[in-house]
Parts: sequence; C-alpha cells; structure tokens
Amino acid sequence: MPRRAALRRLGWGFWASAAWVVLLVLAAALADLLPLHPYDRTLAGPPQSGPSPAHPFGTDGLGRDMLSRVVYGARVSLGVGIGAVLLGLLIGAPFGLVAGYRGRLTDAVIMSVNDIALAFPALVFALAVVAFAGASMRNVLIVLGVLGVPAWTRLIRGATMAFAGREFVTAARALGARDRRILWREIVPNVALPASSYAFIGMAVAVVAEGGLAFLGLSVQPPTPTWGGLINEGRNIMETAPHVVLAPSLVLFVTVLAFNLVGDRLRALTDVREIGLEPGRRRAALPPLPAAEHDVEPALLQVADLRTHFETARGTVRAVDGVSFALNRGRTLAIVGESGSGKSMLIRSILGLLPAAGVRRGGKVYLEGREIGDLEPEDLREILGTRFAAVFQDPMTALNPVRTIGAQVMEPLRVHLKLTRAAARARAADLLASVGIPDPVRMLKRYPHQLSGGMRQRVTIAMALSCDPDVLFADEPTTALDVTVQDQVLRLIHRQREERDMAMVLVSHDLAVVAQWADEVIVMYGGKVVERGPAAALFEHTRMPYTEALLQAIPALSDPSHKRLRVIQGRPPDLAAPPAGCRFQPRCPYARERCASEEPPLVRAETRDHLYACWYPLGTEAAAAEEAEIIEGTESRGR
Amino acid sequence: MILRKALRLPLVLVVVTFLSFLLLNLLPGDPALQILGGSATEEARAQLRAQLGLDDPLFARYASWLGGLLTGDLGTSYVTSIPVLDALADRLPVTLELLVAAELLALALAVPLAVAAARRAGGAIDQGLTTLSFGLLSTPVFVLGVVLILVFAVKLKALPATGWTDFSVDPYWNLLSVLLPAVTLAAGQLAVYSRLLRTDLIATLQEDYITLARARGLSPRRILWRHALRPSAISLITAIGLNMGALIGGTVIVETLFGLPGVGRLIVESIFARDYLTVQGGVVLISVGYVLVNFAVDLVYAAVDPRIRRA
Ligand code: SF4
Repeated sequence: MPRRAALRRLGWGFWASAAWVVLLVLAAALADLLPLHPYDRTLAGPPQSGPSPAHPFGTDGLGRDMLSRVVYGARVSLGVGIGAVLLGLLIGAPFGLVAGYRGRLTDAVIMSVNDIALAFPALVFALAVVAFAGASMRNVLIVLGVLGVPAWTRLIRGATMAFAGREFVTAARALGARDRRILWREIVPNVALPASSYAFIGMAVAVVAEGGLAFLGLSVQPPTPTWGGLINEGRNIMETAPHVVLAPSLVLFVTVLAFNLVGDRLRALTDVREIGLEPGRRRAALPPLPAAEHDVEPALLQVADLRTHFETARGTVRAVDGVSFALNRGRTLAIVGESGSGKSMLIRSILGLLPAAGVRRGGKVYLEGREIGDLEPEDLREILGTRFAAVFQDPMTALNPVRTIGAQVMEPLRVHLKLTRAAARARAADLLASVGIPDPVRMLKRYPHQLSGGMRQRVTIAMALSCDPDVLFADEPTTALDVTVQDQVLRLIHRQREERDMAMVLVSHDLAVVAQWADEVIVMYGGKVVERGPAAALFEHTRMPYTEALLQAIPALSDPSHKRLRVIQGRPPDLAAPPAGCRFQPRCPYARERCASEEPPLVRAETRDHLYACWYPLGTEAAAAEEAEIIEGTESRGR
Repeated sequence: MILRKALRLPLVLVVVTFLSFLLLNLLPGDPALQILGGSATEEARAQLRAQLGLDDPLFARYASWLGGLLTGDLGTSYVTSIPVLDALADRLPVTLELLVAAELLALALAVPLAVAAARRAGGAIDQGLTTLSFGLLSTPVFVLGVVLILVFAVKLKALPATGWTDFSVDPYWNLLSVLLPAVTLAAGQLAVYSRLLRTDLIATLQEDYITLARARGLSPRRILWRHALRPSAISLITAIGLNMGALIGGTVIVETLFGLPGVGRLIVESIFARDYLTVQGGVVLISVGYVLVNFAVDLVYAAVDPRIRRA
C-alpha cells in the first residue's frame, strides 16, 4: 500500500489520540520542569475548590492542586503501562517467533503451556501477588508484565505463522539462508505492524489494571499520587466536590481511549471491508444503470439488458454486462462459460442476491410479463419463495451446519405455504423420498455433516422444489460432486423439471452436460453474451470462436479422467479493464485488426433464434473471404 | 476436542492451586511473623510454622495443603478466628448474584445490538455500536462505577449508592442494590460481546447457506435470528468464558466501590487486615471457579454446534 494512502486511512482520531499520548508522556517526563504546584503541598488553594485559573482542575480535600497531582499520577500510570508492555513483549516475542516459525512440536509445547497460562483470572492473581509481595511500582510492573506474556506469545506466533509460509520466506529458506537471518530480515519487520498495534492495546489494558490496583490501594503508596488512588480519594467527597473524582477519571478515560484508538487504527490498516445483509446506508445505494429499450414478451421468465457492476478499488468490474433472454415453461436454458465469465453472477443478479454494498445494477427481470424489480420486499420474497428456486454448486456450504435437515426442509413450507408443523413434517419426508433419499423420516433429524455430498445435494434439491417453483436456477449443481453421482443428480433434476413442468436455468462450464440436457444455450464471455441459440443450432453451426474453443475443450469420454480438463489458452479477461474491441480477441486464433478496435454486436445468424457476436464468424463467407485475402498477403499478419 | 480439554482439566487445576499455594512464599521475611503480627510470641510462631509445615520441603507442603483443600479445610483465619471456608461460603452468594446479573444484562443487550448492526454493516446502528463499545471498552470499571454513583445516587437520588439487601430480606431492595453494580460490570462485557458477535455475524452472512436462505424468500429478521445467529455464536461463547477472568477482577473493584459483602471485598479487606490465609482461600476459590466455568463453556459448545459433538 502506498505510504501516503496508508497515513490518510488512519484518520483524524488516530492523530488526535497520538498527539494526546505524546503530550501526556512529555508532561509526565518533564513534570518537574513545568510551572506546577508541588503535588503534595497542602492548602495550595482553598480545599475542595472547583476549577479556576490558578487551579485548572481545582483542589482536593486538603487543598492540593489537582492538575499537579494528575500530571504526577501519569508517571505511575504510563510508567507501568509502557514498562509492562515492554516486559511482556520481551519475554513473549521470542517464544511466539520460535513457535510460529518452527511449528510442529516446538509450537505444540509452547502453545499448550501458553493455553494453561491463559486459563488464569489475571487480575485476581495480580492482586494477590501484589498483596503478598508488597505494593510497589516495581512489583506491579513485573506482575502486569508477566501476565501479559501469554497474549504476546499468541499474537506473535499467529503473525509469524502467517508470514513464515509466504513465498519470500520459503524462497529464502530454499536458498539456504540461516534461520536466525530469516527471522530477523524477513519475518520480524512483517510482524512489526500487528505487534505495534497490540502494544498500544496492551498499554491500555495495563493502565486500566494499574488503575484498578491503585484504586484498591495496592499500587504505589501515598504520598505519590496515582490516578486510581486519586479516584478512590475523590469518591469520599463526591457530594461536595465532584471535580476531585471527575478530573482524574476523565484524564484516565481519554488516555485509555487514545491507546485503544491508536492500536485499533493500526490494526485496521490490514482490514477488509465488511458487508451486511442489507445496504448500510440507504442513500449510499448506487443509482441503477439505464436499461436499453426492449419489448416485454409473453414468456414465463424474461431478462432484459441485465447489468451488474461492482465498484471496487481497482475500478468498475462489469461482472454482468447487458444480458437478455426469454424462457418458457418446460424448457432448459443452459448458461455456459469459464469461471469468471459472469454466469453465476447472472443467476444471483436475477434473484437479487447481490452483496449489499458497492453494486450498481441495471436492466429488468419479468415474471409472466410483470417486472419484479420494483416490487415491495415482501412481495419479492413471496416470488423468491414460491415461484423461483435455486440450487448452488457446493452442497457442503449450502446447508446450515447447525440446523437439522428437517428444520431446513420444513422452513419454506411453514413460511410460504403456512403449513402446520405436522403437515410440514409429512410433506418434507415426501419431498426427501421424491429426490431418492432413503429412510426420509430419520433423515429429518440429522445434521448436514452426517451426510455425503451427493445426499446433501439431494436435500438442497428437495428444499428448492418444496414450494412448487416455476423456474429452477441450478448453478453448477454437480461440479462439486463425485463423478459417479454427478449423472444421477442431473437425471434427478431433469426428471423433476419434466414432471413439474418447470423452466430451468442451468449454469455449467461443462459442455458435455449442456449438450445432453439443454434446449437453449447462452455462451457468456467476460460478462457478455457472445453466442445464443437453440442447442442443436449452436452446436452444429457454431459461429463464435470462443464457443468452438469450449467445444474443443470437451473431454472425450475415452480420455483417462485425470486428462479430462483441457483448457483454453490464455486467461479470462480482467473485468475491471476488459480488452478493447472483442473481449475474446487476445485469445482468439482468428483475431484480426478490427477485433482489437471495434466491439462486435450480437447479430442474428441465418438459423432461427441463433445470435452471435463476432466479426469473422466461423463457417461463413465473411471469414472465408478474409482468410483468402490473408493467405495472399501473408506479410500483413506481421509474424 | 472436549476429550482433550477434559484430560487437561486436572493439569490446569494442579497448576492453578499450586500457584495459589505459592503465594504465601512471597511474603517478605518470616511468614509466621507476617501472619501473626509483631505481638505474637515465639512459641506461637513456631507452632504456626510447624502447622503450615514451613520447615518441610515445598512439594510435601503442597501435597498436605491440597489434601486439606480437597476435604474443605482451608485453615482458620488468625485474624478473625473464622474458618476460611465458612467466611467464603458466607460471601459467595452475593458475588454469584452480581456475576449472573451482569452477564445476563450484557448478553440481553449485546445480542440484539449485534444483530441490528450486522444487518446493515456500516449503517447508523453499526457505527453507533462501534463508537459505544469503543467508549465502554476504554472506561475502567471504577471510573464507570464512580460516574454512575455520582449521577444516579448523588444527583438523582434514584438508587442506593452503596450497601446490600439480601434477597431473602427484601427482593425488591435486593434488585435495586444489585442494579448499579451489575450495570457497571456489564458495560465492558457488552462492548466485547457485541463487537465480537457483530463481526462473526457479518462473516456468516457471506456463507452460501445464507444466500440460499435469501433465495428462498425468507425475511431478513428470520435469516439473522434463526440462520445466522447460532453458527456465529461460537466465539461469543468462548469469550464469555475467557472474559469471566476480567469480570471476576471487576467484581473485586465493584464490590469494594459499592460496598457489597462479596468474595472480592472479603479478599481486599483481608489484604489490609493481613489475613493472608483468607486471601489465599479467596484466590483458590476464584481461580478454580474460573477454570471450571471455562470447562463448562466448552461443554456448551457441543450443544450449539452439532459438528463438535462427534469429537
Ligand atoms: S470478433 Fe474477432 S476476436 Fe472476437 S471472436 Fe470474432 S474473430 Fe475472434
């Protein structure tokens, strides 16, 4: 991260806090040189007098100057705070570094000792030790420092582990650098940021702990003032002179807050952004992108010019960039493309399952000619629950790990169909039986982790079918499954699609699957539709070179299974900065000059309903003519 | 995991009790002199030394002391002549009531706040909660207690500043007398719990099963409370156990500040009365209790997360 940006990200709170800490340290160190009353001179002013120009914090019960007492009290608080943290770091860091770097047995031994040490109620122990060994600054500092060791060890170990596995360290190791050198040169600097962040938090903890001990009369003894001691003295005259207790309280609070803030801001430098269930600020929701003119068709599901753009630090990522299609009952539409082509994001955009922040969306979704984008949330949920249904790729993460299968399958029945508990249970068992789960009644009481992947995917299919949906969205429903059950699950989905006369949107990267089950196909590349049409036409008269490349990547069944994934040369485009012209151009074997400058529009092929986006479509005159041209003037190819 | 912890439990208990036992060895000079005070006769001190076994080897002394501990004999205070165990048993209910009240208060506020904050991360409630918990985390117990007394007892005269009414004497006054101390203790826990739960909830909300729950048309409220809360509660439960240490430390201060007759105040009073056996007994009680509570917390895990039950 550029240093300038990092400094700006720390924010004004950090700098104000840092300034307070510096000010306090200077005041405590130079207290003797400051124009203060001696902290122990009684009757420096009238007893219990409030704040005045002569005594900005007022005076205490014996007429001593409170400002002076608070400043001198800072010596103890800061001394113990900084000292205890340094002591803890000094002892804990070597253990943490060694445990994190060495791993295995060294780590296991150090960490179990550490865990046991963490199992102590720290403050009570500090209290007892100070009580038995005598209340003095040295004892308090040592006790608080030692009690901080386990936390330091843990922190340094964690940070070390994170870096010990990184390439530069592994590389240094492979090059034969000595362990000690690696620790000093490579790991220590990287552990420094988390450590310095924690140092400030640790100081806050130590200052509070010292304050507590002093409050109980178990830190440095009078006449030396301590903040905790001042608060304890002040509370006896709280009714007549509240400032005596409030002044040290306020200073202590601000100091602890400042330490915490500095530590927290340093830690936050490495944070990622968090996103909730709904947009954090309504007004911050980004305005929708404009949708192109279109006719509303009488189809079951129509998607018109759908766009989903993410605003990121790297710029706008056009994950879905203008996708349109219409789908009727009883048909299966397959969406194919490599991972990162936007096909999964398309499904999520249709269903409105996008992250709550940083998204710009555009386009319309119609269900039976009615736009669903501007429905009230309740009505939209009703449609999601009863008309649409979704199955995702990974059955391991698709089920809630802490709820029973029964609770999860019954829930939509109870919520959307308003069934009673008993009716929902019976219906859930039927559903499980219909997707081929043996002994469904017992299955209801089970937890997801007790099921195999194939069984789990059957459960998620049963849940999807529970409210008789009209459109089933299946996002790579078999990719994560064992090869042997893939076909069974696809057959199951297909049979259910036919029996229930649903429409299905099947997302897949596997053209073999698509060829077998789809009626219509959309090929996506870089967030755009590059070819679309009836399955037969598309496979027999492929126009777009990317589709051809995908087809050639289909593994032949005769190939041994480890050879089955043949990949297309090159990488999918960076959606934050897609190539100019045709997005496939950098990888396209047929690319010419025009492809790099002009983007090909989606045009109609001579076959009905077959569309493609390519300047030089395969098997057409345009391509053939240019081919001939080039063969004649070979030098124009450049290479 | 549970099994490993169960195997480790005795080891931790031995270490904890051994350290509590060692405390007496920290006394400067002759412990017998420290315990009995300067006015004790030489015979009395010799007798105490023999009784405490101060002349025996360290581990032999620990073994006999541990034997006493297991049979409920923590010795008799030389200051008050009351058996240490009786003195502790007398004070324990007050401390327990305070701990439970504070814990319940903190959780009752932290869970709904965390849920509301996670629902719209970065929103007004979330930012408010972050600021609040940051402020609470930075307020030492004794500062908050003093301010609460100042506001509610001294200025508003709405609640008693100090003192304790037993539940058996008057339930209403008992609740009033535990209210301010419990609020004081709960504040820090509230901050820790709500921040932790909020962060875990936000992580859980990115899971596939939450996205699918949304795809099933379930309401945000239902998704948060029924689907996201329980899988997110694991670190919260750990934190409840680990924070018990800070909470117990807090009771020592709060009981002193509010004048509650609990174990914490007994320890502090005994420190100043040089009643070392009672201090030692209190420390043993608290540390063993803390270790056991943390073990119980590990058992609660299994109830919350079925995946752990296997192990
Ligand atoms: S437009 Fe050009 S680069 Fe794009 S697919 Fe067609 S031939 Fe290839």
